Amino acid sequence: MPHPKQPEVGRALPFRRPMNDATQTKDATGRLRQIEALTDSALAHLDVEELLSELLERVRDVLHVDTAAVLLLDRASNSLIATAARGIEEEVIQGVRIPVGRGFAGRIAAEKRAVILDRVDHTNVLNPILRDRGIRSLLGVPLRSQGEVLGVLHVGTLSPRKFTEDDAELLHLVADRVALATQARLNEADRSAAIALQNSLLPGRLPQLHGLEFAARYVPGEAGGVGGDWYDVFSLPSGRLCVVMGDVVGRGLRAAVVMGRLRSTLRAYSLMTEDPAEVIARVDRKLQHFEPGEMATIMMTVFDPSYDTITISCAGHPPPVMARANDPATVLELPVDPPIGVFANHRRRNTTIEIPRGAVLCLFTDGLVERRDATLDERFDELCQAVQADAPDAVCAAVMLRMVGSTTPKDDIAVLTVRRTDDSRTAPLDIHVAAVPTSLGQIRVALRRWLATVGATDDDANDILVAVGEATANAVEHAYGAAGGVVEVHVDLEDRDVVIRVRDSGQWRAPRGEHRGRGTMIMEKTSDTFHLIRGENFTEVIMRRRLST
Amino acid sequence: VSTPAVTVTTEPSGSTIAVKLAGEIDLANADDVAQAVDAAITNQSFDAIIDVAGITYIDSVGMRYLFTLAARLNTAQIRLRFLAPLGTPARRVIELSGLNAVAPVDPPLG
Repeated sequence: MPHPKQPEVGRALPFRRPMNDATQTKDATGRLRQIEALTDSALAHLDVEELLSELLERVRDVLHVDTAAVLLLDRASNSLIATAARGIEEEVIQGVRIPVGRGFAGRIAAEKRAVILDRVDHTNVLNPILRDRGIRSLLGVPLRSQGEVLGVLHVGTLSPRKFTEDDAELLHLVADRVALATQARLNEADRSAAIALQNSLLPGRLPQLHGLEFAARYVPGEAGGVGGDWYDVFSLPSGRLCVVMGDVVGRGLRAAVVMGRLRSTLRAYSLMTEDPAEVIARVDRKLQHFEPGEMATIMMTVFDPSYDTITISCAGHPPPVMARANDPATVLELPVDPPIGVFANHRRRNTTIEIPRGAVLCLFTDGLVERRDATLDERFDELCQAVQADAPDAVCAAVMLRMVGSTTPKDDIAVLTVRRTDDSRTAPLDIHVAAVPTSLGQIRVALRRWLATVGATDDDANDILVAVGEATANAVEHAYGAAGGVVEVHVDLEDRDVVIRVRDSGQWRAPRGEHRGRGTMIMEKTSDTFHLIRGENFTEVIMRRRLST
Repeated sequence: VSTPAVTVTTEPSGSTIAVKLAGEIDLANADDVAQAVDAAITNQSFDAIIDVAGITYIDSVGMRYLFTLAARLNTAQIRLRFLAPLGTPARRVIELSGLNAVAPVDPPLG
C-alpha cells in the first residue's frame, strides 16, 4: 500500500509538508478547510457511509496516517459499529462491533476523550483486525453531537509514531465536523425511514364495503418528524369490522417502529377475541412486557356485521364525534380508560352504541384538537360544527379546513371518517376471488355481513353459509389444475328469496376423494332449489333459499 | 419450453403427467418454469411426477414454487411425486428445505 505520508506525485493537494510548529498549525488550519469543504452542498447527495468514506480519505491526507475509521454508536446494544474505514476496510466489511468501555474505541466512547496508543498490542486493542493489519500506533477521539457521543473516529499508522497533543487537537476539530455532518445525515435517514414505515403501515386504500364508506387524512407535524399516529381498518372472520385509531407518545423513527408493532399486535389479538376492551388489555400487557417505557392511546371500534351497532373501548384517546342524519354532531360520551403502557392490569370497559343509517363517525388523534390558543372544549365545539352526515371525504375536507386551515400543525394529525350508507335496498354481493382455500374465509366474511344486512335469521344464515361454502370449495378443489383460476359468487335478494350463483371458469371433472358427492347432497338440503350447470368451460351452481320471517 | 438456463419437458401419459426439469432455476427464470409446469398439469390429471434429477442449481425462489405447487395439487387432489436421485443437487436442497415432508420423493429417505 502506498505510504500517504508523502503526497503522491501529481496529486494537487493544497498543502505543504510540515516544517515547524508554526507552519504546522497554519498548515493544519488549511487542511481543516478541506474537511470543511466536504460538508458543503456538493456532497449533499451522499448517504452516511459515502460521506464518511470521503471524509476519512481527507483525514488520512491531513494527518499523514495510513488508516482512518469511524465507528457509530448503536444505542440499543451500547456498542460501536464500524461504519466507514480507509486503509482498514475489513472493519466495515466484517461488521466489527466494539462494546462501549472495552478496547481502544470502546474506551474513547466511554471516557469521552482522546486516547493515544503509541504501541498497539493485545492488551489495549480488542479488535484483531487492527493488530493483524500491522497497525503500530493509534489516535482516536469521540464524535460528539450536542454533548452526546455519536461514535468514535480513529486514525492509525503502520510505522511507530508518537501522536502529539496537537494531532489530537486537530483530530478533535475534524471529529466535530464529521459529527455535525453525520448527525444531519442520520436525522435525515431516520426521518426518511420513519416516513417510509408510516406510509407502509397506514392503509393505502381503505376497504370497499357495501354499507360503509371511509375517508382518511394524515398530516405530519411541524417539527417534520413523523410521529406515532396510526389508523387501521380490517375485517375479522366473523364478519365484524375493526376501526382503530391510535397515537404512540413520542416522535420519529422510534415512535413509528412502536406504532408498527402495536398495529400488528392489535390485529393478532383481534383474531383471538373480538371484545375491544380485551384486545386493548392484551396489547397493553404485550407493550409493558416487551417495550417498557412506551406509551400509547388507542380507540378501538368494532362494527357488528350488520353495522347496526359499534362496540368501542377507549384507552386515553380523544372520543370520536358522531353526526346522525339531519342532526348536529356530538362528541360520543364514553368511559375513558388509561392509555396503554402505564398501569398493570387496569380495568377496561366497552360501550355499545347504535349507528343509524346515514350517520357519520369521525375518529382522530389529539393533534386535531390540541392548540395553545384555544381550550379543548372550544376545539371540540368547532369540530362538531365541521362534522356533518355527509360523504366521508367531504367530512374529512371540512374538518381539515376548519381545524387546520393554513397553519402547519404542531403535532401529527390523523383523521378517519366512516359513514353508514343509507341504502333502503341492500346491493347484491359480488365476489371474484382466486380459487384457493384461503378465499373461502374471505367469502364467508362478506356473506355473513351481507346476510346480517338483509336480516337473515341465524338458522337461515348458517344454512346459506354452508351451501355457498360447499359450492365454492368445489370450485377450489376441482375446477382447475396447477395453474389455478377464479371463483365468482353472486348473491342477491329477490323478494324474500336469497339467490346464490357460484361460478368457475374451469373444466368440469367428477369429484374426487373421500367426500365424493357429499357436497351436492349438502347443497340440496340447505337450499330450497339447487341447479348445477356444466358448460364446456365453466361450472355454475344456482341455489335459492327463502328467508324465514 | 426453453429458457437460457433451464429446460422444461412435459410428457402426458393417460391420467399421469410427467414433467422433467433440467438446468438452473433461480429468481430470473422461476416464473417461466412455474408457468410451463402449471400449464402442463390440468385438473384432469390424477398423478403428476416432477423429475428434478437434471436440475444443477435451484435457489429459494425455485423452491418456493415447488412448495406452492405441492400445496396447490394437494388441494386439487392430484397426487404429486418428485423424482430426485440420491446425490443430485436438487435432492440435497429438497431434504434441507423439508419439501419431502409435503410431497413424496423418490427414492424415499433412507
